[in-house]
Amino acid sequence: MSQQTTSRPTGQIHHLTPHSSGTETLLTFVLSGQSFGVSVDRVTEIMDPQKTARVPNANPLAPTLINVRGSVVPVLDLRNRLGMKPAHQLHTSRMLVIDTTVNGEICKIAVMADEVKDVIEAVIDDLETVPELGIRWPVGCFRGVSKRQDDIVILLDADTVFALPTH
Amino acid sequence: MAKTVLSVDDSASIREMMAFALEPRGYRVVQAEDGVDGLNKMGANKIDLVITDLNMPRMNGIEMTRAIRANARFDGVPIVLLTTEGQREKMLAGKAAGAVGWIVKPFDEQKICGIVKKMIG
Amino acid sequence: MSSPESTFIREANDLLQVLEEVLLELESTPDNPDQVDAAFRALHTLKGSGAMFGFGALAGFTHHFEDAFDQLREGRAKVSPELIAVSLDSRDHLASLLALGPDTEAPAGLQADGAVLLARLGELMGVSSDNSSADPVEVDAQSPEQTTLCRWSISFTPEPAALKNGFRPDLLWDELAQLGSLQLTCLDDRVPALETFDPAECYLRWEIELETSAPREQIEDVFIFCMDAEIEIDALDAAEAEVTPDQTPDQTPGPQTPVADTAKANTAPPVASKSESVRVDAHRLDDLMDQLGELVIAQARLKSISDTLKDPRLESTVEEIEALVTGLRDTTLSIRMLPVSMVFGKFRRVIRDLSVELGKPAQLISEGGETEVDKNIIDCLTEPLVHMIRNSVDHGVEDEATRSAVGKPSMATILLKASQSGGEVLISITDDGAGLDAEAIRTRAIERGLLSEDQEVSTEALYQLIFEPGFSTAKNVSSVSGRGVGMDAVRRVVDDLRGSIDVKSTPGKGTEVTLRLPLTLAIIDGLLVDVDGDRFVLPLSSVEECVDLPFSENEREDGRTILRIRDQLVPYLSLDTLFGYNSSAREGRRVAIVNADGQRIGLVVDDVLGQLQTVIKPLSPFHRSVEELAGATILGDGSIALILDVNALVRRATNNLIAA
Repeated sequence: MSQQTTSRPTGQIHHLTPHSSGTETLLTFVLSGQSFGVSVDRVTEIMDPQKTARVPNANPLAPTLINVRGSVVPVLDLRNRLGMKPAHQLHTSRMLVIDTTVNGEICKIAVMADEVKDVIEAVIDDLETVPELGIRWPVGCFRGVSKRQDDIVILLDADTVFALPTH
Repeated sequence: MAKTVLSVDDSASIREMMAFALEPRGYRVVQAEDGVDGLNKMGANKIDLVITDLNMPRMNGIEMTRAIRANARFDGVPIVLLTTEGQREKMLAGKAAGAVGWIVKPFDEQKICGIVKKMIG
Repeated sequence: MSSPESTFIREANDLLQVLEEVLLELESTPDNPDQVDAAFRALHTLKGSGAMFGFGALAGFTHHFEDAFDQLREGRAKVSPELIAVSLDSRDHLASLLALGPDTEAPAGLQADGAVLLARLGELMGVSSDNSSADPVEVDAQSPEQTTLCRWSISFTPEPAALKNGFRPDLLWDELAQLGSLQLTCLDDRVPALETFDPAECYLRWEIELETSAPREQIEDVFIFCMDAEIEIDALDAAEAEVTPDQTPDQTPGPQTPVADTAKANTAPPVASKSESVRVDAHRLDDLMDQLGELVIAQARLKSISDTLKDPRLESTVEEIEALVTGLRDTTLSIRMLPVSMVFGKFRRVIRDLSVELGKPAQLISEGGETEVDKNIIDCLTEPLVHMIRNSVDHGVEDEATRSAVGKPSMATILLKASQSGGEVLISITDDGAGLDAEAIRTRAIERGLLSEDQEVSTEALYQLIFEPGFSTAKNVSSVSGRGVGMDAVRRVVDDLRGSIDVKSTPGKGTEVTLRLPLTLAIIDGLLVDVDGDRFVLPLSSVEECVDLPFSENEREDGRTILRIRDQLVPYLSLDTLFGYNSSAREGRRVAIVNADGQRIGLVVDDVLGQLQTVIKPLSPFHRSVEELAGATILGDGSIALILDVNALVRRATNNLIAA
């Protein structure tokens, strides 16, 4: 399904449907052809890609900063984190601004996605049900999977994926 | 209109204690932090009862009592002094200045409410 | 905890602080009656309010403490060093009791401490701690209940001024009526003729018959606030009540004739020595500052848009707004400014305790306490300053024998000075001790691999090494100063505050450590520079001057990076290399000469874009650990500029060079 392209930050995303047990409301997005999902109430903005400021001598997992409505927000390199190859920006690329907790402190981070897809209510299955995931991706980043039609949406564990990198 | 008590004390905790005790019982409590402030508050509000500490900067409780009593506009407003034990001369001086009586610290909610009720109902 | 209770705790802490200061003053000027008075008043207030807010033990202890000062006030005892010592310990004990919180019983150990203190106090005052207390004036009605009905005849004649003083006969009768059945007769036989009638006076008297089973004390209680009245209470025989004909009281309210105004305020209030001030929650100040910061940034954005639009009407309005915002910003900043003396005050006690513990007499002199600094900075300064003072007394100051051998006064002096200079605050600690031993520092540095044997370093650079982690040349590490972990923590705090530390020392004479701190943490005056297309801000307080980079330097092959400026040789670093960015070998690059940890160093940038004043935004946890970065800011065009910590930057660069 295609996503409407908007040229302004779309603001807070609200729950579309109430939860039923075993399901979660996820915002889904694509990185290099793979679909990922993140809990919708963590996402506070979807923005067009912004001019980034480099942070000298920063950990490559958090290389730059952007201005989100007057706040200085670190941009995390999700591709790097997930061990994917770097890639160019697409015209459908969008930045997601996500609330996360780091060492007990609430802060915002931003990640770039190739494409932002729908908000879905997904039935979450255990990771073990798709064993090849355990081989391809770094351990501990995911909370589960959602199988839909011919696609697998991998549910990100925001607290570990966006955790402070340890040197 | 609710009966209004003026609590004059340089200690914010004592004033708060008064408000804490009296407001739930329907009284309005106006606070002042010394004698000068107390006189100002008297002028700006319709006060039914004054409860005042003795030792305060700028103008103490007894001086303030004298000043209030000297102003006919405030006739009929009873003044009660707050003292710690052992201040007999001060208390007598207070009465001479026009206070109707005194309450000894420490006091609790019940005591204050009983006295206020006695003085202004 | 209720609000009055927490207010009391705040007030009590203030009082305890005042008490400590007063006691320390008394120690040096024992014959000062004002100080004795001040101590007494503080204790008196503590005692009076303590019991009311659930601090019974505190009130009880203070009672005896206050007695001692009462004796001092009346001249029945004198101030002595032992008394001051006990008093300071007692004050500490009160602080411990206060810290327990309301309605909490003190643990046995604390109670024992209290008893010991009171015993010491008692000995000194020559009085055994008795539990004398003046009898409360009020009478509590505690009599056994009587169930038999009794008739009482009460005759009540209030004093003439009673009505003026607020006497309310109606409420009195209401109260009596609650005790039983009441028959009231009002007598107006004393009311004078109209010519002599004073409407403010009370001429009436009452005769009352009361039938009640209440005890006499309860009846007397009703009249406790009428003690100047003539009151007679007689018990009648319990016979049948005789009905007395009602006589309607002739109460003449009287017209409101203005009584001759004896001067309304015959006690003219003395000149207000108490300054008007308001207590504000610290986090409200922070909120205010945050909002102001956003306003400053938004205003910069507005200006940048206005610059492109070039509409003169818009420009003049934008200028007006800029002036208003600047004014608001300055006012807000000044609200957060507090005098440094707030921090200095605590140190007298520290020095006193230290000199006692270490056996080295030392005194603290302070200057410039009225110098003001942002509250957030003051909060962070206490620990580092305490540590530096401890260091001075512990390691710097020699023992008495050594001092007299070299002709120094046996009492060492620690001078704490604060002053403002430009946009900075300078706080220095100077001792008249032995000074720093450059050789010992050098040896230790070599031991720790911080220096190589043949490396030449200036004495100033050597002195800076004392702030390296784990660096302590002290042979005996006392418990007071710690194991040399202290000084690096000091530097870390100063770094976080975007300040710097300067160390000067003369062997044999003493050491002076100076902290340079910005006036405020929220806003920075900076130099905006461009490095490979990205913007950075150098704190203006660190920048001494800007010069051009001679093009020849770009061509230099010999790896030397030193400039000659006037007659000085100044080493330089290229920021693009330091940051791992693309190096530009173009013409017209600039060098910002900065002062880093006391040394002049040049930082090469691609361009200097100008000065700016902007709000500092702290970095997220992801970038906080990068020491060279002090924060970030958003420029008028919405782009981000990182703020550099010049000292950390240079330090890192030189360490890398040494390691290489």
